[in-house]
Amino acid sequence: MAMASETTLVTTRNESGTKWWTRFLDPSEGTLAVLLLMPAALLLTLIIVYPVCRLIWTSFQNLSLTSGVPATFAGLENYTLMLEDPVFWETTWNTVLITLITVPGALLIGMALALMANLPFNVKWPVRLSLLIPWALPLSFAGLIFAWFFHSEYGVVNDVLRRLGIEGVIWFNSANWAFAAICLTIIWKTSSFMALIILAGLQTIPRSLYEAADVDGAGRLRQFFEITLPLLKPAIVVALIFRTITALQTFDIPFTMTRGGPGTSTATLAMYIHQNTVDFLDLGYGSALAVVMFALSMGVTAIYLRMIRAKG
Amino acid sequence: MSSVSFRKLEKNYGALRIVKGINLEIADREFVVLVGPSGCGKSTTLRMLAGLESISGGEIRIGERVVNKLPPRERDIAMVFQDYALYPHKTVYENMAFSLKVRGIPSAEIKPRITQASEMLGITQLLERKPSQLSGGQRQRVAMGRAIVRRPQVFLFDEPLSNLDAKLRGQVRTEIKRLHQAIGTTIIYVTHDQVEAMTLADRIVILKGGEIEQVGTPDEVYNSPASVFVGGFIGSPAMNFAKGTIRGGQVMFDGGAGIPLQGHLALKPGGLEGRDVIVGIRPEHFMPAGEGHALSGQVQVVEPLGSDTLIHFALGSSMLTARVAPEMRPSPGETLSIGVDPSRIHLFDAATEKALV
Ligand SMILES: Nc1ncnc2c1ncn2[C@@H]1O[C@H](COP(=O)(O)OP(=O)(O)OP(=O)(O)O)[C@@H](O)[C@H]1O
Ligand SMILES: [Mg+2]
Repeated sequence: MAMASETTLVTTRNESGTKWWTRFLDPSEGTLAVLLLMPAALLLTLIIVYPVCRLIWTSFQNLSLTSGVPATFAGLENYTLMLEDPVFWETTWNTVLITLITVPGALLIGMALALMANLPFNVKWPVRLSLLIPWALPLSFAGLIFAWFFHSEYGVVNDVLRRLGIEGVIWFNSANWAFAAICLTIIWKTSSFMALIILAGLQTIPRSLYEAADVDGAGRLRQFFEITLPLLKPAIVVALIFRTITALQTFDIPFTMTRGGPGTSTATLAMYIHQNTVDFLDLGYGSALAVVMFALSMGVTAIYLRMIRAKG
Repeated sequence: MSSVSFRKLEKNYGALRIVKGINLEIADREFVVLVGPSGCGKSTTLRMLAGLESISGGEIRIGERVVNKLPPRERDIAMVFQDYALYPHKTVYENMAFSLKVRGIPSAEIKPRITQASEMLGITQLLERKPSQLSGGQRQRVAMGRAIVRRPQVFLFDEPLSNLDAKLRGQVRTEIKRLHQAIGTTIIYVTHDQVEAMTLADRIVILKGGEIEQVGTPDEVYNSPASVFVGGFIGSPAMNFAKGTIRGGQVMFDGGAGIPLQGHLALKPGGLEGRDVIVGIRPEHFMPAGEGHALSGQVQVVEPLGSDTLIHFALGSSMLTARVAPEMRPSPGETLSIGVDPSRIHLFDAATEKALV
C-alpha cells in the first residue's frame, strides 16, 4: 500500500515537471531495459571488451619488456612478421589438426558413452560418476597422468603392447607418436564432457517416441538416425561450440606431456603465445598471435551459430 | 482386421501382481473399451497387447497368431498414445508416412493413403506443419491419422482424449465412433471415463485391481451391474447405495422404510429372506410422488442443472441422490415425498458386494 501511494505521488510530480530524476522512479519500458542491462554491460565491458581492445591495440605496437625501450607504434609489423614465422605456421597447423582430430573423436566417443549411460541401469550413480570424474580432473593433471601412461619404459601403454607381443614405441621421441598420444589424451579428457551434454539431451527425448517408433516398425538403428540424432542436434551443436573453442585454445595437455617437443612439433598456438609473452616478454608479437587465435574462435562460433539459425 | 484374445493374461512386477489372469475374447470389428479406476492395469494390459510390455503369464492372440514373443512391429497393430507421441522434428505428413516408409511401401502409394486419411480426419491443411504448430485437438487427429494410414489389424487407444478440454473431448469422441463405423477395424480403447466407455463401446470391460469385474454391452453393464463396484462406476450421477435387510418380500432400510421386491427380484424372495443386502438405486429411477413406491426423506441439498434437478436427501442413515424433473425444487430441510420404481432397484450381497439374483 505504502509503495503504491508513493509511486502515485512521484508520477504526479513528474507530470508537473518538478524533478528530472523522478523519471528513473517511474521509467518507461525502454529506459527500464537499459537500466536493468547496465550492470551486466558494465561488467562485460570491464572484463571482456576492454582487455580485447587493449590486446588489439598492443598487437599494433612494438612492446618488448626485455628491450628496455618504451612502446612504439609498429603498424602491421607484428602481423607481417608472423606471416614469415615458420613456428607460427607450425603451431597454428598443430592447433587446427588437434581440433580436427579431437573434436569429432570426442563427439563420437562421448555419444557412445552417453548412449551407454542412458541404458536403464538399476543403479545410475556409478555410471554418472565415472562420466564426471574425467571431466572434473584438471587438464594439467590429465596431461601428467597420461605422460606416465605413455612413458616408454614405465608406461602402462607400452606394457600392455609388450604383453600383446607388440613392440612399443618411445612415444615422446617421435613427432607423430607424441602428437597421437596428445590427441588420445585430449579425447579421453573431453569425451566425458561431450557425453554429459549429450546425456542431458537424450533424457529430454520422451520414451513414448521410441514406443511409437517400435509400433511403427522402426528398428533400433532406424530409431537412432530418425529420432535420437535429429532430436539431439541442438545439444550436439552446443557441445561442439564449447569443445571446438577449447580445442583451439589447447595448452595444458601438450604443455605437461611434451612441452611442445620434440622440437616444436607438438606445440600449439596457445603455447606459442605463452612462450612469446611470458618467456620472451614480447607483448607486441604475443598480442598479435592472440588476436589471430581470437579471430579463429570467433569464426568457428559464427559458423556454428549460422548452423543453428539455418535449422530454426 | 482381426480378433484378439487374452487367455489367463498376467503381469507381475517382481512380487507385485498387476494383471491377474484376464480372459477375454474380442471379435473382429468389435469396439471394446477397457475401463476402470486409475492403477487398475488398463494401460498395462493394452501395452502387453502392443508388445511394449513383456507378458508374465498367459497368452495373447491376434487373429490366430500367438503374439506373446513378437516385437511390436510384427504384431500389425497401431496405437494412439495418451501424449500422442508425434515425432516433433517431422511434419504431419512425415509423421504419417513414417511407418509406411519403414515398411518399404513405395512413396507413390504412401501419398494417396495419407491424402485419404487426412481427408477423413479433416487435417489436409496441416500436412506441412510440425506438431509444435498444432493445437491439442489437431495433434490428437494427427495421432489418429498416423494410426489409420497403417491399416493395421487392430487399433489401440490409450486414453486418447484425456488431454483435451471437455467440449473438444465430446467432439473427438463422436469422430472416433464415426471412424470406427467407416473403417470397421477392431478397436481396443482404454479410458477411465465411463461416459466414453458407454458412448463408444460395443462391449465394455470393467477392470478392478487387475481383474475383470464385468464384461458386457453398455446396456448390460448399466442395467445389470454385476457388483457394487460396477454399479457405482457406470452411470452419472453415481448409483445410490444403502444398507438393508430382506424381510417378508420387502427390502427394509435401517431407518424403517421398505421397498417391496418386484419383477425379477421377487422371483425368489424366500431364498433371500433374512439376507443383509446393499440396495442400489440409480438417481434417474426416482419418480414424482404418487408414482411408484412412495419413500420419504429429509432434503439436504438441491442442485438445479437446468435439464434436471438433483436432490440429495437422507433416508434413515443413508444419503441418496435423486434426479428429478427440473420443476421440482424442494427446500433444504423439507420432508421429501418421492417415488421409486421397485422393479429397477438392484440388490447386492452385503458381504461379497456381488449382485443377487
Ligand atoms: N514398471 C513398473 N513397476 C512397478 N509397478 C508398475 C510399473 N508400471 C506400472 N506399475 C503399476 O501397475 C499398476 C497398473 O498400472 P497401469 O498404468 O496399467 O494403470 P492404469 O489402469 O492405466 O491407470 P491410469 O488410469 O492411471 O492410467 C499401477 O498400480 C502401477 O503403479
Ligand atoms: Mg493408463
